[in-house]
Amino acid sequence: MNGFFALAWNGFREARRNRVTTVVAAFAMLLLVSSSLVTQVTVHTLDRVLTDFGLSTMAILLIGLAVFLSCGLIPQEIERKTIFLVVSRPMSRSRFLLSRLTGNLISLFALQGAMTLVFFFELWLYKSPLTSAIVASLIGLMAELLVITSVGFLFSTFSSQLVSALITVGIVFAGHLAGDVYRLADKSPSGFVKFVGQASYYLVPNLDRMNFRDQAALALDVPMGAVASSVALALGYSAVLIVIATLIFEKRDFR
Amino acid sequence: MSDADFPVQALKLTKTYRLGFFLNKHITALNGLDFSVPRGSVFGLLGPNGAGKSTTIKLLLNLVTPSSGQARLFGQSPTEHSVRRRLGFVPENPAPYNYLTGREFMSLSGRLANLSGHELDQQIAKLLGEVDLSRAANVQVRRYSKGMVQRLVLAQALLGAPELLILDEPTSGLDPIGRRQIRDLILAQREKGTTILFCTHIIPDVEAVCDQLVILVGGRKITEGPVASLLGSGGEVELIVENIAESELAFAASTLKRVERRFVFRVPEADSMRVVGEVLQKGGRLVQLNPVRLGVEEVFLQAVRDAGHTVGSESST
Repeated sequence: MNGFFALAWNGFREARRNRVTTVVAAFAMLLLVSSSLVTQVTVHTLDRVLTDFGLSTMAILLIGLAVFLSCGLIPQEIERKTIFLVVSRPMSRSRFLLSRLTGNLISLFALQGAMTLVFFFELWLYKSPLTSAIVASLIGLMAELLVITSVGFLFSTFSSQLVSALITVGIVFAGHLAGDVYRLADKSPSGFVKFVGQASYYLVPNLDRMNFRDQAALALDVPMGAVASSVALALGYSAVLIVIATLIFEKRDFR
Repeated sequence: MSDADFPVQALKLTKTYRLGFFLNKHITALNGLDFSVPRGSVFGLLGPNGAGKSTTIKLLLNLVTPSSGQARLFGQSPTEHSVRRRLGFVPENPAPYNYLTGREFMSLSGRLANLSGHELDQQIAKLLGEVDLSRAANVQVRRYSKGMVQRLVLAQALLGAPELLILDEPTSGLDPIGRRQIRDLILAQREKGTTILFCTHIIPDVEAVCDQLVILVGGRKITEGPVASLLGSGGEVELIVENIAESELAFAASTLKRVERRFVFRVPEADSMRVVGEVLQKGGRLVQLNPVRLGVEEVFLQAVRDAGHTVGSESST
């Protein structure tokens, strides 16, 4: 496991030294702090705006970063041939893939942790309540990042960075709209449209089930069961994607 | 001889790539390659660009899977982790993680090779010293020159004292000083008894370091053997004579060169004694008689011609 952890830690170190990550982190901190400005134009809904702005900023930037990191990592390793130096060592390809995925997730969760601290500071500063829905939305965001990273990794094992990124972004949108598509298709008189709607609902990850940001903004209660089921969905879906990614990666030729 | 005597074996190794959108184009990169690398030798894989050298290396390291045939390392499949613990690898144009310092990269490589702790620290310090990178150890790799990168990657390949080194074009793109440094490091490893598979298209490097050689052209093995025997007599002798008129040497007009008062020419080895007799009979004096030895370049170019490929200016005629 020595090599596994070394490579995972190296992924975190890579993200820390990556200019894009640094710029995104700095921008995120700036945005979170700038929510103070938003409060100036708010009269009665300060808590709601502060929570909504903070959580949305974190979600948008972290999801964007998750797509960028997960889709670029493997193609860049192959293009630069750094992968040759790793997989020629006594390390299986699946362990390589898992350790890189772990490194990626450590980077994202560490950044989310830092952003959460700034966000909590803002809440404390404006005496806004830290509700269970906010905690649920942060857990949901972690689950969402896990799924998006797994999707990015899967496609990057056999396609280019650009193609992987386009598909992953498409799946992020489709995942958030999966429920709406299902409901719309269900109302259609056409059996084919119903089938396509249902198929896409079950095929793409239902990212909306991991999104509790609206409840957090409106200070609504989020049942623990809903959080647990969304985490379980994320873990299960990611596990399937990672297994498929591993199978593809094990067979791939590094030309 | 057992498998253990040959750390590297290619057995009818063939690789066909399927290309195109529908994967309907087939390119044979390597065709039935057979060779065995004896323990402790420096074995050269020589060939022009596209000959299949890098494909051979990738097959040996399980970076690509063979279409048919087998690659064996220490008698086992390259997919076995145990065999990969016993080798070090330097890829062509290596690009280590450039955000790491040289020391961090060595540390990562060591951990991937299952080394750790004090032993790893000691090896890193020793190897960075051997490749003359101690002073640059804490500098990020992105600030290294190409020669420094190459030496760093060679140093990581030496972590864990591997029994086998696989080097893919280790001197490619380096200046003469950089090439000399890498060659010296390879020769030092040869002295230690490490088996080295050395893939290159740079002929002087082969002459400098290799014991045995396989020449590949178009994915096929053209010739193979000890470098000394491949460089053996070309079946001709070179004579240097004086005190004789040029007209008396008309039989060697095709190779005849005048150097001041002397004439230099080549004749088939079988005719050498007869020609020497004639020269002496005509009052000439024999200054030197040397067997003509081929260089690796001539062997290589002859092999390429034999394979039906054109060489240099031949292609324009």
